[in-house]
Amino acid sequence: MNRQTAPTDWKAPAMQRRIAARYAAERRFKAMGLGAVLLSALFLAFLLTVMVGNGARGFTYTHVAVPIDFTATPLPVEPSRLGDPDADQLIANAGLAEIVALAADEALGENGSALISDNAWKDVRRAIKDDPALLRAKSVFELPASSLVDIAAKEGAAGALGARVDALTREGKLARHIHWSFFRNADATDPALAGIWGALKGSVLTIIIAFLIAFPTGVLAALYLEEYAPKNRWSDLIEVSINNLAAVPSIIFGLLALAVFINWFGLCQASPLVGGLTLALMTMPVIVIASRNAIKAVPPSIRDAALGVGASPVQVVFHHVLPLALPGILTGTIIGMARALGETAPLLLIGMRAFIGDVPGGICSPSTVLPMQIFLWSDEVDRGFVEKTSAAIIVLLIVLLSMNALAIYLRNKFEKRW
Amino acid sequence: MTHDELTIANPKMKAEGVDVFYGAKQAINNVSIDVGTDLVTAFIGPSGCGKSTFLRSLNRMNDTLASARVTGKITLEGEDIYAPSMDVVQLRARVGMVFQKPNPFPKSVYDNVAYGPRIHGLAAGKADLDLIVERALVRAGLWDEVKDRLGESGTALSGGQQQRLCIARAIAVNPEVILMDEPCSALDPIATAKIEDLIHELRGKYAIVIVTHNMQQAARVSQRTAFFHLGTLVEYGKTADIFTNPKQDRTKDYITGRYG
Amino acid sequence: MTFNAPALLFVIVGLALIGWLAGRARSALLAARAGVKLHSRPQYHGWYVALWLFAPAALFLALWSSVSPALVTSAVLETPAAQGLPEFGFERGAILSDARSTAAGRQAAVRLPAAAPLVEPYRQAAQRYGAIGIGAMLALALAGGLYGYSRVGPGLRARSRVERIVMAMLLLASLVAILTTFGIVMSLLFESIRFFRLVSPAELLFGTHWNPQSGAPQPGTFGGIPLFWGTVLIGAIIAMIVAIPIGMMTAVYLTQYAAPRVRRWVKPCLEVLAGVPTVVYGYFAALTVAPALREFAAMLGVPNASSESALAAGIVMGVMIIPFISSMADDSINAVPQAMRDGSLALGATPNETIREVLIPAALPGVMGGILLAVSRAIGETMIVVMAAGLSANLTANPFASVTTVTAQIVKLLTGDQEFNSAKTLAAFALGLVLFLVTLLLNIAALRIVKKYREAYE
Ligand SMILES: Nc1ncnc2c1ncn2[C@@H]1O[C@H](COP(=O)(O)OP(=O)(O)OP(=O)(O)O)[C@@H](O)[C@H]1O
Ligand SMILES: [Mg+2]
Repeated sequence: MNRQTAPTDWKAPAMQRRIAARYAAERRFKAMGLGAVLLSALFLAFLLTVMVGNGARGFTYTHVAVPIDFTATPLPVEPSRLGDPDADQLIANAGLAEIVALAADEALGENGSALISDNAWKDVRRAIKDDPALLRAKSVFELPASSLVDIAAKEGAAGALGARVDALTREGKLARHIHWSFFRNADATDPALAGIWGALKGSVLTIIIAFLIAFPTGVLAALYLEEYAPKNRWSDLIEVSINNLAAVPSIIFGLLALAVFINWFGLCQASPLVGGLTLALMTMPVIVIASRNAIKAVPPSIRDAALGVGASPVQVVFHHVLPLALPGILTGTIIGMARALGETAPLLLIGMRAFIGDVPGGICSPSTVLPMQIFLWSDEVDRGFVEKTSAAIIVLLIVLLSMNALAIYLRNKFEKRW
Repeated sequence: MTHDELTIANPKMKAEGVDVFYGAKQAINNVSIDVGTDLVTAFIGPSGCGKSTFLRSLNRMNDTLASARVTGKITLEGEDIYAPSMDVVQLRARVGMVFQKPNPFPKSVYDNVAYGPRIHGLAAGKADLDLIVERALVRAGLWDEVKDRLGESGTALSGGQQQRLCIARAIAVNPEVILMDEPCSALDPIATAKIEDLIHELRGKYAIVIVTHNMQQAARVSQRTAFFHLGTLVEYGKTADIFTNPKQDRTKDYITGRYG
Repeated sequence: MTFNAPALLFVIVGLALIGWLAGRARSALLAARAGVKLHSRPQYHGWYVALWLFAPAALFLALWSSVSPALVTSAVLETPAAQGLPEFGFERGAILSDARSTAAGRQAAVRLPAAAPLVEPYRQAAQRYGAIGIGAMLALALAGGLYGYSRVGPGLRARSRVERIVMAMLLLASLVAILTTFGIVMSLLFESIRFFRLVSPAELLFGTHWNPQSGAPQPGTFGGIPLFWGTVLIGAIIAMIVAIPIGMMTAVYLTQYAAPRVRRWVKPCLEVLAGVPTVVYGYFAALTVAPALREFAAMLGVPNASSESALAAGIVMGVMIIPFISSMADDSINAVPQAMRDGSLALGATPNETIREVLIPAALPGVMGGILLAVSRAIGETMIVVMAAGLSANLTANPFASVTTVTAQIVKLLTGDQEFNSAKTLAAFALGLVLFLVTLLLNIAALRIVKKYREAYE
């Protein structure tokens, strides 16, 4: 106990140095924090730039101007039958593909038909069906180029192809247009034809099913747990299940769906129905948790007031608590649905990775979803799919970001502090 | 009330014309006061009158609130503590603070007390640090109760012990002034008595400022008393004078329990 | 008559509305009569009738729409036209679905010639079962509605009845969670047991060679260690090395240093980062990060540098986890009482000393819980590893080499073209079981820690 208790000498040089060092450490630490934030932001920016940079071009496609003279090479189809349901088949059988190829050879020189997409004649077919008068005239069609030509036109290419494309560009025969097929078609093996509409529609159907199941179930479960559940082993078990389900890897839900929905119930494979059911099971816990928090935030005084005027417990909940909690519930639901919309892994297991060349007709027809389409295209060897993949990613991100923005907007608008 | 009445021969801290604002709202209005070196000064006044606010401006704890703004002049041994040259880290080491609710860190008793000396580099080595810790705990009257449980968590102590631990923690940095904001309000009478004894012990070694709602406590432990009301300093003087012979009606009303 | 579930749902909702109106009108009439005192307000009588009408019919509708496709298909398979179908596999499925789509009118004509003879049987069977279903459903709705209507009267405690049904619905809804958990456990267990009859659990858990082949299971090809190691290397090591420091520092900066305005901008940014679908991260990893890392490794002269590397998948997964860690840490740091921070600052500690010595230790349990949850999420993550980590089961510590994970193998095993009962498919369920149990343990431990921690500061 013989230590001196003289006041600390804060002015001593050693102490001053020490303090300076401490402040330096403080600045370093703060810089590290800022660095971490910037790093995350940078990564986000980088990811978005790469995707936008690659993908923006995917929304356009190179088209070649090809004059076709149907007066010289008539298409043997009755114009009156062009409105029939099997008109597509008729036109195909009549040899439109050959006519288009010939016209391309003629217009673009040797091997000209190789410069346009193998499926370019389908665009001609669509045009003819829209306007049968074309069959009696000579007109110039803007036909999609082949994938190689498209890439060469966009990125430049060496060798013979590059030279040819340059020549065509100079002659004004190449033009870049918005790639409507991309928004109109389902998947295809030809990048000139592949589109996201099939996947988009599959996603919408799937999400609607998931929502119709998960939303009511989740909200009702949350109401039960928050308002009525007795404190016993059962409700503890429910509670633990829900919290755990919210953190179970999504692929496990895929295994469940495969074993139960497909192998046991025999529901239609690769369909929005099964996909929606799977995603519903996955998002329900998220909705329950968000709803419970929203319900918890409704002050007890409101319940007491309603009970006080003679409302039954059910009336209290459905007339008073639920409306007040609804914004919070909706916010949680939208976020959960956005997550489901971006989900791929469980859907891989229920067969949604198959190639689906059709726009799905109903909830039981085989279909794919947008994230799955991205996954499938990312695996394609044809280089034309690189920008399609990124373009699909842009579409997906726009949808998801608007959903999240809506959720944040709802949260800010209706967030009440009692 | 003239300024002369408030002056003290050798003030440790001196406040002149201090205003404190929270955003646009003024919480302290033109307060001037001297804090005596060997004295215990008590701040009393009704709830919300700004005692804590003023106390926190004495060691610049208000800096941690984004909305708080202090104007006027406060000096420690003649140095302006709000001057740019003043270093908050040093200032707070010299002007320690004990809070209303005991707030030991979730560390061992030893580490709680050693925390300050460690960050300020006050100990020459492990043995020296042990000594500082022991001395602080002895001074805080806690040593006998915890000497065998220095490794236990500080949060495992009783409320009164925790508060004395916080006092020990403040003492261990070897401060010149100790600010205490209602240090006994969360404690029972026995623990309160221990803290009051402790304040008696510490008097003379440190300048002590204590905020209290308990008139008897103010009368028992302090030599000077300041009465605050609605953000202004109404009356300041010898404790005995304030309690037996207040000059202001508001002071009299307050200490006789008419309001507050 | 074809069976169109959404349209039928519409129909019974319409019928229920009529039931509601009828029930309400009848009770209102009764109530208007002198001397009759109803127990409940008329609208509850309406609800009572509507529920009786709707619930049995809707239940039947759900049941019928899930079983009738199977019934239709089996009826078609009984017909002579179906005898020529191939026994198994993809082709058979394709032919059947082609015929089904054509019969339902979703496409004008069959694409596969083999499907043509099946269209007509399909159409007939679908019509037959559709008619049965619609008839039964309408009968149920009518019977339920009439029963409910006949009960309307002064003695009926309609409100309590309706409320009891509502309560039952609430309870049922909350049981779905248990049912899902039960379903997961049962389906995983059931298939895993079948797998373990073919391959011993010890081999899966401790074997070091993974190379499943089609056909009868070969001994020594189902060793899971390389997968487990790959999973740990990517999800628990590399991803965490990236995510923990950045996530923690982000949380510290946002809670302690950033101005409210910065916070308001950065938090939504982090939410965006958290909302990016994993398939996008996977594509990004495969397209950009992996090739860059391979170049880098080649520059360093690392052997076995692969374009699909543990490092690429791990780093990108770490980035995906950053927002998760930072929001958990943010919550935990915010939960530490302000008094703790003030106590440290009042002793003259600098903010960084306060954060490192007081706040983070005090928040540690919460942060640890968050990290456990993050690990659980990382090891269950699928798309990033499928797209960027590769499928070769290497037991290597070289982060530039290609490794595979449990989730990637589950996907690989289940997306080939094999029948459901082969050892390969069953193996996927066994891997799923292991994954489920590990994440379950992590989740429960994490939730416990976080809950305890919350209670400590409440
Ligand atoms: N962080 C803050 N932001 C805004 N206003 C504050 C803040 N802290 C205190 N105030 C206001 O400043 C005034 C003085 O508060 P202060 O806490 O200093 O009173 P007090 O005298 O210590 O009261 P008590 O005896 O209840 O502790 C009060 O009106 C209070 O509402
Ligand atoms: Mg106070």
